[in-house]
Amino acid sequence: MVLCVDDEDLVFKALADPTRRLLLDRLFERDGMSLIELEAEVPQLTRFGVMKHLRVLEEAGLVVTRKQGRHKHHYLNSVPIRLIYERWIDKYRDRRAAALLELRDQLEGRR
Amino acid sequence: MTPAPHAATATQVYQLYIRASQEEVWDAITNPAIVAKFFHSAQVESTYEVGCKLRTLSPDGSDIWGDNTILECDPPRRLVHTWRSLYDQEQAAEPESRVTWEIEAQPGGFAKLTLVHDRLDASPKTAASVRGWSYILSNLKTVMETGEALPPIR
Repeated sequence: MVLCVDDEDLVFKALADPTRRLLLDRLFERDGMSLIELEAEVPQLTRFGVMKHLRVLEEAGLVVTRKQGRHKHHYLNSVPIRLIYERWIDKYRDRRAAALLELRDQLEGRR
Repeated sequence: MTPAPHAATATQVYQLYIRASQEEVWDAITNPAIVAKFFHSAQVESTYEVGCKLRTLSPDGSDIWGDNTILECDPPRRLVHTWRSLYDQEQAAEPESRVTWEIEAQPGGFAKLTLVHDRLDASPKTAASVRGWSYILSNLKTVMETGEALPPIR
């Protein structure tokens, strides 16, 4: 496997796919799933498809695997997303934009 | 949908690469002067010997944030200690959990740091709170690579 150190491109590419975002959401809800458990979460994909997407997520550092006994568990690693947030979002965040988003959320009854 | 009980769910894993040597990362996580820079300006007291205390205090020393115990210490590779969040009453009432820091040397002048926070099965409030490790660890990376801390979390 290619060792990916600090590669923002890999994170953005990994996040650009809806199936991979779905897998991350599932891991956020229930961290540490095995391959079989993850397959059950996305029945529309083949085992090969799930493995392929997991590999992309792992290379981007968004998923970390750990072996416990016979089982390999998949964990959501939120650090690369935090680094992107600090680099690309926090820096450019402006108060007016935040206030408008809050207003929209209120009007749409999200809070 | 309520997630089914799941042993591995009680485990959180955080991993990042830092442009530093294994020894430098070890020093950063065990040197109180550096820990303060990336961990909420906390005061840390420990001799980092197995069985000894790892005490974390608020910046002015008036509040105890953590009164934990060193379980394993293998410089510059592995540090394991207990965790109980004393800064929050509800979390402090939950069972003790465990934090493991693993540092691996990597080619190209990088170190890989993996933090595993586990034994959170019966500590849901603590589990939700320590999701903030990603902020702490990205702060550590910034401190080590640029010498500066990030602005405080909002």
